[in-house]
Parts: sequence; C-alpha cells; structure tokens
Amino acid sequence: MLKFEDVSFGFTEELFENVSFRLHPGEIAVLTGKNGVGKSTLLRLCNGLLKPKKGKVRTAGFLTDEHKTSSLARHTGFLFQNPDRQISKHTVAEELLFGLSLTAPDTDEAEKERLLADITTEFGLNPTDEIFTLSKGYRQLVAIASVLITDPALLLFDEPTVCLDKHQKKTLADGISSRIKAGKTALIISHDLEFIDILDCKKLILKDKVIKE
Amino acid sequence: MGGLGYFPGDSFLHRANPILKLFLAIILVTAIFAIPSLIAPAAVLAVTFLLAVSCNSGKWMLKIIRSMLKFSLVIFIIQTLFIQTGDTLIPLFWGLRITYQGVMFSLGFVLKLIASALPLALVLRVTKGIDLADALNETFKIPYKYAYAVASAMRFVPDFADEMKDIIEAQTARGVEHDTKGFVKKARLLAPICLPLLLSGVRKAEVAAISAEMRGVSNR
Repeated sequence: MLKFEDVSFGFTEELFENVSFRLHPGEIAVLTGKNGVGKSTLLRLCNGLLKPKKGKVRTAGFLTDEHKTSSLARHTGFLFQNPDRQISKHTVAEELLFGLSLTAPDTDEAEKERLLADITTEFGLNPTDEIFTLSKGYRQLVAIASVLITDPALLLFDEPTVCLDKHQKKTLADGISSRIKAGKTALIISHDLEFIDILDCKKLILKDKVIKE
Repeated sequence: MGGLGYFPGDSFLHRANPILKLFLAIILVTAIFAIPSLIAPAAVLAVTFLLAVSCNSGKWMLKIIRSMLKFSLVIFIIQTLFIQTGDTLIPLFWGLRITYQGVMFSLGFVLKLIASALPLALVLRVTKGIDLADALNETFKIPYKYAYAVASAMRFVPDFADEMKDIIEAQTARGVEHDTKGFVKKARLLAPICLPLLLSGVRKAEVAAISAEMRGVSNR
C-alpha cells in the first residue's frame, strides 16, 4: 500500500537519506521522532505534496512523482496538524460532504445521507453545527471525520490527538482500528504515548536521517 | 529565503535606521509616479534590485518579480485590448486592434506596478516590525498603539501568504485540483480558500490583540 524505496529528501540540507520501508494493507504504523527531524515532511511525501529528490514513493500502487496529489486523494486521507487549515465550509455536514464530492463525485444522495449519518454518529458530531463555533477538539474531530468519510485506502494522520480529550482519543483509536481490520493502512505521526498504546501498531522512529523500527 | 517577511542579516540595509529605509522607499515609489517616463520605473527597479543584492536577497527579489509577472501579463493583455486609440500595430478580430499607444501605456502601467511594490517589500525584508514601530513612535511621536498596529499589520502579510499556501496544500490533499496547470481553473479554485483564510485571519488578529493588551501595549 505504501512503499518507500531509497528515498532521500531535504530542503536546504538532507532531512533523510535512503529511507526504505513498506506498509501492507491492514497494517498500522506510528512514526515518532524529535521535533524538526522531518516527520511531517515524510508524511507529505506519501501523498505527493512533496516529491522525493532521490528514490521512489509508491502509494496505492501509484508513483507519487508521476501523479498529482489531487488525483492521489482518491486513495489517501491526509490529516494536517492544524484542523482549521483543512476546513473549508460553514457547517459540519457541508464540510464532511465536501471531500466526498471531490473524491467520489458520483455518490448518490441516499448514499451520502447514509455516510453522513454513520460518521456523525461515530464521532458524536451534529451535522447542522457551524464549525467555527465549535471547540478546537471538535473541529479536530470534524477534520478527522471529513477524511474518514471518503473511505481512503491509506490514512496519513499528523498528530491526530492534539486537542482531543481521553474519550475522543478512544473514539478515534476505535475508528482507526476498525478501518485497519477492514484492510486499510495507516501511517500516523504521534507523540501521544497513551494513544499509541491503545493502537496495536508497528512503531517507526525517524532518527539520524533514517527510519528505524 | 522566500516570503514577504523579515529575513535576518547583517548588511548595511539591515543595520540602517528603519525610518530612513521607509523614507527612501517612499521617495522611490513617488519618483515612479511623479516622473512621466518609463525610465523612472526601470531605474527604480534596477536600484531596488541592486540594494536587494547588497543584502543577499537578489534571488528572493527575482522570485517576487517572477510571481508578479504572471498577473502583470494578464493586466497587460487586458489593458492593451481596452486601449483602441493610436496607430495600429496588429489588427485583430471583430474590429479590435493592438495599438502602439495601448502597448506603451500597458507596459508603463505594469512596470510601475512592479517597481512600486518592490521598495516596500525590501524594507519589510530588512526591518523587524517591532523596530519600525519603535522608530515611528520615537521619531514621529506616533502613539505606540498605532505604530504597533502598523508593524503588526506588516507582520501579518507573510503570515497570510504562508497560511494561504498551507490551505491550498490541505485542499489539494483532499482532491481540489490546485495542482492543475490551467491558469483559469486555478484562479477559479481560489474562491473556496477565502473562508478558511478569512476566519484564520480574524482569529489570529484577535489572539494578537489580546496578547498585546496583556503585555500592556496600550499603556505605552
């Protein structure tokens, strides 16, 4: 599902060199490492927001340097550190359906209603709420739900538990685990030990410009 | 290296008095509009570029000019098509034509537009906002509250540019085709960015105002 082959990348200087790893369907990995080592940069390479300087990144069978990020969005669900940056609509329902309209435009109304009802129930969201009146924790849940509603094969989450309370973290962990059991793959950046413990996952550490298991 | 904010350095421009830099920028911009010739904006462009090179910002300035050239080209084409007086250079369809006057006016307009933006951008590049606020307060006795507001507003320009980049990135990751090559399509996709950009701007301004108030800015 996700394959890094001798990938090197950096801006002014190399952040990582000859990194190779792979994640199979039904596998979940948590990526940790010190601040500034390039964890978020590595995640951006997974969906083509950044292209590798050397080596290949293969996502859902597609080479990221040969495909546009917007077309890879059909297979990847990307959660940014700051939920406000990815929220584009007024209400919860509009926001949740926005991503769906981009990645699965042919979805009929009845199916949309069903998906909306399922995801709002799962995360305890009210579809008619105006997003920017919600607390940051709930805005984070809206951002997470708007990624999951599109049912991507590969989940790429950057610090998803920031602002979430204990109950919300458990809901998120359950949501991710059920999708992994259904054959999805996830690469998650997190420093949240409590959350990492709940997930039954592979642990990757980005250190000294390489990935260690 | 990129962006419109302050870039640390130790050049003579970095060390110069902020008011002097602002004053010089205003003189350069005034000269562009006061002298009715293409030589003025061309000269200001050259002087500003040399000043940028002197503080290790030549590449940055070329990048700014390159990004301004994109929309300048659109303005140039529209202006040229709207001005139908003067000697015909190229006859077009439906009675439209490209005239010598149209080309010269549009060229001057675009050149002035680019040249007038650069001096102030360079001042922001080599001056810390807080230094500018202090200097405005001390030299012109502008109340610190207002000088601080001006400096903060300037600080927000690069922040907004970064924010816009991040929002575009986030929407692209969700499937919005910001990574398309088509200029018209790209321009049309800018509309959905407005809401998150506006809301984050208001939020940032509110937080900055509360933070400034908590540190006693209004008492200075």
